[in-house]
Amino acid sequence: MTETNNTQSSLSSRRSSRPSRKRKPKKSQLPKAYATLAVIILIGLGLSTISKTLALFWVIGLSFGFILQKAKFCFTASMRDPYLTGSTSVTRAVLIAFAITTVGFTAIKYGYFAKGLPIPGMGYVVPISLATAAGAFIFGIGMVIAGGCASGTLMRVGEGFTMQILSLFFFVVGSLWGAHDFGWWKLNFIVKGEAVFLPDVFGWFGAVVLQLLLIAALYIAAEKWENKKNEAH
Amino acid sequence: MSKEYELDCMGEACPVPLIKLENKLNELEVGDLVIVQIDHSCAMKNVPEWARKQGHNVEIEEVDDGEWEVFVEKAV
Repeated sequence: MTETNNTQSSLSSRRSSRPSRKRKPKKSQLPKAYATLAVIILIGLGLSTISKTLALFWVIGLSFGFILQKAKFCFTASMRDPYLTGSTSVTRAVLIAFAITTVGFTAIKYGYFAKGLPIPGMGYVVPISLATAAGAFIFGIGMVIAGGCASGTLMRVGEGFTMQILSLFFFVVGSLWGAHDFGWWKLNFIVKGEAVFLPDVFGWFGAVVLQLLLIAALYIAAEKWENKKNEAH
Repeated sequence: MSKEYELDCMGEACPVPLIKLENKLNELEVGDLVIVQIDHSCAMKNVPEWARKQGHNVEIEEVDDGEWEVFVEKAV
């Protein structure tokens, strides 16, 4: 396809013929990186003297942030891009993440169940109700305007975006307000719904298969969506 | 005669640079060049991805720590 080659090389030649912007000589950031790493390790060691779990949370939190930032993974993009650009690449990445966590958490829970121990995390099996749908909808609008969801906001504060510092402040305000009123929501909306723990209904294996099938169906739908959007152009 | 335009999107959140680029490209003709200046890492990913999907030629240059210029040549 010589045509594509010609146009791509014409772009490169146009770029080089442009007066080049004065570039500040880039100082190496390695010294700052090493210093930060040292501080991180020191804080981690300090936390481990208080509690091993705390030190573990420190490491996990930092790892999540690092991976989110380097991968440019964005939950906001996963929900927004299908409407904005027709691209579902991030949406599909999020679905893959859900699939992996489904398998992982089922394995953890089943491990406890099989030993006859109380299953951890059952406090999160709560009724689904209008409150969930309304909250999700409002959050969706909010996260696109704020430029990030919970993890994205934290990650961008770390990156140095000042807008997200504002988002973080109101994230805290909103959460406090929600926590303050949570009793009301619980009484008036949440308890009216059904709490379903899928393994109770479908058995452990059935629940995993069902959830993975659902995620697979969504994945295929997302791919079809992107292909349809591209054909339209 | 193909023209060059600069689109300054510094300090703007995720979707804004992409929407501005989309609108700008609709106004232009094949062969025109748009240089999008961004400093948002999210936009650094979704702007070139979208532009390439549309069939345009894209090149990215990191001009400073955390600042990029995305060269989009309208090809379709």
